[in-house]
Amino acid sequence: MTTKTSLLKVILLGDGGVGKSSIMNRYVTNKFDAHLFHTIGVEFLNKELEVDSHQVTLQIWDTAGQERFRSLRTPFYRGSDCCLLTFSVDDSQSFLNLGNWKKEFIYYADVKEPEKFPFVVLGNKVDVTERQVSTEEAQQWCQENGNFPYYETSAKDATNVAIAFDEAVRRVLALEERTDHLIPTDTVKLHRKPRSATSCCS
Amino acid sequence: MAADSVLKVLFELEGVFIHPSSEEGGSEQDSLISGCLRIVDKDADVLVEYRPLEDSDPSNMLCAGKDSSSVMEWDQCSGEKLLETQQSYETEWDMINAVSFKRRSVTNGEGSLNPAPCLPGSLNPAPCLPGSLNHSSERSRWAFSFSLSDLRCIRVKEQGWSFLLLQLSESCRSPPALHFHQGGSRDFLDSLRRFAVISQAAGEEVCLMVSSPNRALSQSFENLLDENNFGLVNQKFRNDPYVTTLGGFSKVTNYIFDAFRGTEEQHQRPPEEVADLLGEVIPGLEINQQEEPGFEVITRMDLGVRPPVSRRDPVSSEEWSRHQDAEGRMINVPLLKQIIFKGGLCHAKRKEAWKFLLGFFPWESTVEERKVLHRDKTDEYFRMKLQWKSVSEQQERRNSKLRDCRSLIEKDVNRTDRTNRFYEGLDNPGLVLLHDILMTYCMYDFDLGYVQGMSDLLSPVLYVMESEVDAFWCFVSFMDQMHQNFEEQMQGMKTQLIQLSTLLRLLDLSFWNYLEAQDSGYLYFCFRWLLIRFKRELSFQDVLRLWEVMWTGLPCQNFHLLLCCAILDSEKQKIMEENYGFNEILKHINELSMKLEIEEILQKAEGIGLQIKSCKDLPASISSILGWDPPAPPPALRTPQRGAACSSPLSRDSSAQNGCSPAFIS
Ligand SMILES: Nc1nc2c(ncn2[C@@H]2O[C@H](COP(=O)(O)OP(=O)(O)O)[C@@H](O)[C@H]2O)c(=O)[nH]1
Ligand SMILES: [Mg+2]
Repeated sequence: MTTKTSLLKVILLGDGGVGKSSIMNRYVTNKFDAHLFHTIGVEFLNKELEVDSHQVTLQIWDTAGQERFRSLRTPFYRGSDCCLLTFSVDDSQSFLNLGNWKKEFIYYADVKEPEKFPFVVLGNKVDVTERQVSTEEAQQWCQENGNFPYYETSAKDATNVAIAFDEAVRRVLALEERTDHLIPTDTVKLHRKPRSATSCCS
Repeated sequence: MAADSVLKVLFELEGVFIHPSSEEGGSEQDSLISGCLRIVDKDADVLVEYRPLEDSDPSNMLCAGKDSSSVMEWDQCSGEKLLETQQSYETEWDMINAVSFKRRSVTNGEGSLNPAPCLPGSLNPAPCLPGSLNHSSERSRWAFSFSLSDLRCIRVKEQGWSFLLLQLSESCRSPPALHFHQGGSRDFLDSLRRFAVISQAAGEEVCLMVSSPNRALSQSFENLLDENNFGLVNQKFRNDPYVTTLGGFSKVTNYIFDAFRGTEEQHQRPPEEVADLLGEVIPGLEINQQEEPGFEVITRMDLGVRPPVSRRDPVSSEEWSRHQDAEGRMINVPLLKQIIFKGGLCHAKRKEAWKFLLGFFPWESTVEERKVLHRDKTDEYFRMKLQWKSVSEQQERRNSKLRDCRSLIEKDVNRTDRTNRFYEGLDNPGLVLLHDILMTYCMYDFDLGYVQGMSDLLSPVLYVMESEVDAFWCFVSFMDQMHQNFEEQMQGMKTQLIQLSTLLRLLDLSFWNYLEAQDSGYLYFCFRWLLIRFKRELSFQDVLRLWEVMWTGLPCQNFHLLLCCAILDSEKQKIMEENYGFNEILKHINELSMKLEIEEILQKAEGIGLQIKSCKDLPASISSILGWDPPAPPPALRTPQRGAACSSPLSRDSSAQNGCSPAFIS
């Protein structure tokens, strides 16, 4: 019966203009703002949700994609529980850059075991008809790069956005559950950040 | 002798003189002491040493070359008279002392931390090596040596040659004046700069304040630490005593805080780590910048009450016309700027006035001259525009830089002020202009290219100008001011964050400490404010007002930093009461966007400026940030009609107040 709320940090990475901010806003406020500004600096929004009877506070981080701002963006990678690698299906360059984003994240987030880190890949703007990246290509990339779950989303018409975040949360929780069994409890704290510190174990 | 100490000579200069007569009131009237001045690294401490060269005594000369440890400490007992001489300088130092912190007076145990010969409490003649003591003739008693960490202040004087007066910490006797009859004082100072932060004291060109890393540390920890922890900190820093960054600095602070907090919850870690990384990124390269707040030396500043400030109505078309002569030259410009600062411009006048404010049109130009200028600039603009317009698709395929610029610009133009009537809808010509001007700017400054944020700076300018050419050149001028923000290393951003931190610490140490404790001392959360001058924080109309006020350059340089302070001042209560941490502060500040009241902020910022200005012992770093370094202001800076501008409490007159120092200058 005990409820515990975990605070999970999720970060959206990908080229500028693929729709990271729009995805975040769609997910948190369920709105799509066609007049949204491009992101400057670093922002985050919180979202409370329940996944498989786990209370979770998702802290979703969104950054500016331009190379120039890298040094002021990468410090925020630290402590991420999940990374959403995002490209736009109507922009092949953004797809080609996924690998770089993944590399940048792993490098700066200082992930202990990169092979096990939960990435989720989002191909955004599926509402657009002129695609430059096919579903198969994208799936193949995900397969080859660590068997990441892949979702085709549209921030504009809300396709798959919530589902993708749910999956991200499940991945993180599953990973932590596994870790729970393997490692004594106090080490787990490093990973999970109990918010309301109610006693453990449900 | 001294074989086991590691010694490295970092700087050496012969022909540096001491004038015993002036030091001792005439006991050695005729003789000047000539000697060798050195900076040495000894056992990881940087020492400044002076040894008289004794022509008559070759053994001593030999010795001087080899063995610095034989140098005698500045001889205390030669001193009653000297003390008086020194005290005559004292009044001049007062001002500086007021802003220099007091070193914790540690009477024992410090020796191991700081192997300076000049230990507090070692007031007896230095225990010198036997050899040199035997030679201790009149001359060698002028030898001295002190640790750079004890150096507080250097006064540079000129009387046909340069001489330096070195002021050490209270506990140490200051050495005699050094006369550089054969030059080299500048080299000496330059060398010192490699090991200490040297900045100009407020209001005094000739006075350089010195702070070295070690000292800054001990100061900052002054309130935090007890004896035990002190050792710990110092140990951490000894590895790298000369090169220390705010990043490292914060890290240690955090470390200490953790020690005090005891077992802090693990979930605190990521923000701290993020902060550490940011700290490294932001001030990491600042070592040679003098704003480094870690080194700044400020005790409690006594800021008076914030004076009430009133604003006025925007400058009307009639008022503007009254400042124009028959040929179209702008007259009474300082007064004009003053009323623009106080109230902004009515919208009808912006199109014209901004060109002057931004420097596209010279204030003293006539209508005719401006026509010529405009024609030339129009040509120039279209030449550059043609350059990118005429690049074929094939060419562009081989030009990744241009391609990237174009792609970035296209994406950002679609995401800039789209709710503004000038840029809304799908095929709004405003969007095309925004795009074309940004592309042309890439041609104008290809090294910079396009960086995100630039579209935000252009959009209001274009909106006001309603002309491609005018908007371009005004944007160019604006970018001249903002360029550093966008450069590869983002030096402008780093500098501003550090300057802001320095200011905030003066204005509100308790809030600054709070932020520092939340790993937010480097004010990362102000990034967007600074990058694009509050463009995203205010409504479009308020941005226009704010920018024209800023462009007057009044009441001081970097007024936008005072705006930051004003906003933070309004938010601090909430932030501290709610006990916001790193993330919450960032979120809170981000979410202030569009909720700020422009006139209120302007008033508050102006008030803060007045407060700082009337502060007596203004630290040098602060006055240099705000451009209040008034050692006899060069004529160009003087406003021609001081009387006219006097109605404003912020006219340049008050520089006299800040520079109350002139009274002390000999
Ligand atoms: N058609 C379509 N456009 C989108 C979608 N998501 C975002 N956009 C648009 O793509 C542009 C970039 O979106 P933004 O969220 O700013 O991208 P970011 O730079 O990754 O944060 C904006 O003009 C959005 O309106 C989507 O799902 N479909
Ligand atoms: Mg964005």
